[in-house]
Amino acid sequence: MTAFLQTLIFGLGTGAVISVGAVGLSLSYGVTRFINFSYGELLTLGAYLAFVAVSLGLSLPVASLLAMVVVGLIGVVLARLLFDPILHRGFLSLLVTSVGLAFVLQNAVRMIFGSSPTRFPLPPLRPWRIGALIVPKVPVLVIVIAALAMACVHLLLRYTRMGKMMRATSDDAALAKASGIVTGRVLATTWFLSAAIAALGGVLLGMTQIALQPVMGWGFLLVVFAAVLLGGIGNPYGAMLGALIVGLGIEFGAAYLAPDYGHAFAFLLLVLVLLLRPKGLLRGSF
Amino acid sequence: MALATFFVGLLTLALIYGVLTLGLHVQFGLAGMLNFGHVAFFAVGAFTSALLSLPPKGSEAYLAAGGQYQLGYGLPVPLAFLAAGLAGGLVALLIGSTSVRLGSHYLAVATFAMAEILRSVLTNETWLTRGQFGISGVPQPLRSNPIPAELYPFAYLAATVVVVALLLAVSVRLTSSPFGRALRAVREDETAARALGKPAPGLKLRAFALGGVLAGFAGSLWTHSLGIVHVGQFVPIITFQVWLALLLGGRGNPIGAVVGALVLMAITESTRFLGNIPFLEPLTRRNPSFVPSLRFVVVGLLLILVVRYFPRGLLPERLRRPPADEPAPGRQP
Repeated sequence: MTAFLQTLIFGLGTGAVISVGAVGLSLSYGVTRFINFSYGELLTLGAYLAFVAVSLGLSLPVASLLAMVVVGLIGVVLARLLFDPILHRGFLSLLVTSVGLAFVLQNAVRMIFGSSPTRFPLPPLRPWRIGALIVPKVPVLVIVIAALAMACVHLLLRYTRMGKMMRATSDDAALAKASGIVTGRVLATTWFLSAAIAALGGVLLGMTQIALQPVMGWGFLLVVFAAVLLGGIGNPYGAMLGALIVGLGIEFGAAYLAPDYGHAFAFLLLVLVLLLRPKGLLRGSF
Repeated sequence: MALATFFVGLLTLALIYGVLTLGLHVQFGLAGMLNFGHVAFFAVGAFTSALLSLPPKGSEAYLAAGGQYQLGYGLPVPLAFLAAGLAGGLVALLIGSTSVRLGSHYLAVATFAMAEILRSVLTNETWLTRGQFGISGVPQPLRSNPIPAELYPFAYLAATVVVVALLLAVSVRLTSSPFGRALRAVREDETAARALGKPAPGLKLRAFALGGVLAGFAGSLWTHSLGIVHVGQFVPIITFQVWLALLLGGRGNPIGAVVGALVLMAITESTRFLGNIPFLEPLTRRNPSFVPSLRFVVVGLLLILVVRYFPRGLLPERLRRPPADEPAPGRQP
């Protein structure tokens, strides 16, 4: 029973990290309609930038916020330079461009920081003990932060003017434009938000994995894809649900079925979803 | 001599990439399917060919080579080569039969995921592949006897040229055959092709399997040229290098596919010498992965630039113009 509960906590923690990435990816998909293969690298950038900021003497929360802002801006610039000019060209161009960008970013990080893992600057946290159950603090912390971030995204999408404009653009870009929404600005805001969320996801991933590696984001990308497609692509609420299922699937699969295949369960889940329910669990847009 | 051997090895590798690219040419160039997991068929071909041709466990050759693998069937290499193509095709058929109906986005993600699942299986099932250790001593036919070891790369290149020329000729025929035309019709407008009675899913599945066969052949050529097979060789970037080769050469043109692979290899291999540039030296000394990373930065940048500014490639697809534009011969005024 305690083993089960422990796996549950880790599964929820993993799910929380995935959900942050999945929501960010969904937001950008909702507005641009292509699956961004370079999204994982924004997570990597966020984690490394937070690491650099901490090494310069900032506290981890401040460093993380800084990384979010910087990566958000990087996301806007990259989108302006690379994706916006070819948005009308169909998704092959966009997909291949995003793959190219992923290789550039990933290897740029490797050129600067080297391939060997870097320890993430997390202060040692003693786990809570509740009877026989040992509750590690990191997954709990990650769950709380992710839940807060999700709540912010929800409030933004539901109740702010910008959020409504984003939803309108996602529903029907042409109609939104005709109704006087400046789609360019909405696009830029979405890119910023999506990249900033990626940076937060990167920090959380760094916290759970303890070590930073240049391939961390690329390796995590498929898991995020699984969550996004499971939940119905382009739907942030579906992405949260998908992430939870994938996170639990990875941890329980690794704990009870085959320890070496943790992430393979996520991919298997992904393939099954694609085959059985290609529109995802909650279809439609936000 | 050492330099010549180096270039011969490189040319062989480039031609093998050419075969891989021919596979993607059939799948994407003709049928328009976004296969983001091409490396899986390459890996299947390589492991099939290696395991089938290795001397059986416990045999004299096994003991002499100090073998540590579990499976080996001691088949002749040409037979293993054919089996590699078959295995690549079968795996493609399996993956394709579940997913060719998916929309292009989903197909890209599904194939990418399946390649990663396969990689994870090959890494973890050590009884089959020896996982991270890899298998060395993969047979290199006729090496040392009768062909001297120092001339072997040249002989292997010659054999590769023959095989690639053959596969290229078949691909060229295929491209202009009725089957190739039907695939292009499906690529351009699946609904219209179906309305004209073309069985689109079946055509796509066959194209997908054919691409898998070609990638399987490439895997066999690759493993016997190196004499080793190792799961670490089959990373996703291989898939995207093949994509780059195809886009560089010109999608829809089989000759372009091979030319694209040769050009790509020339570009990426020239980054090898970047480490010798004096002002980069302090950086490379501090970080040994500096130059290898730079190579992938180059691959990434090329992908972005080719798609943006050079979408038709070096040898663009040649399409027959509709008859209306083309005055019939002999009728010209």
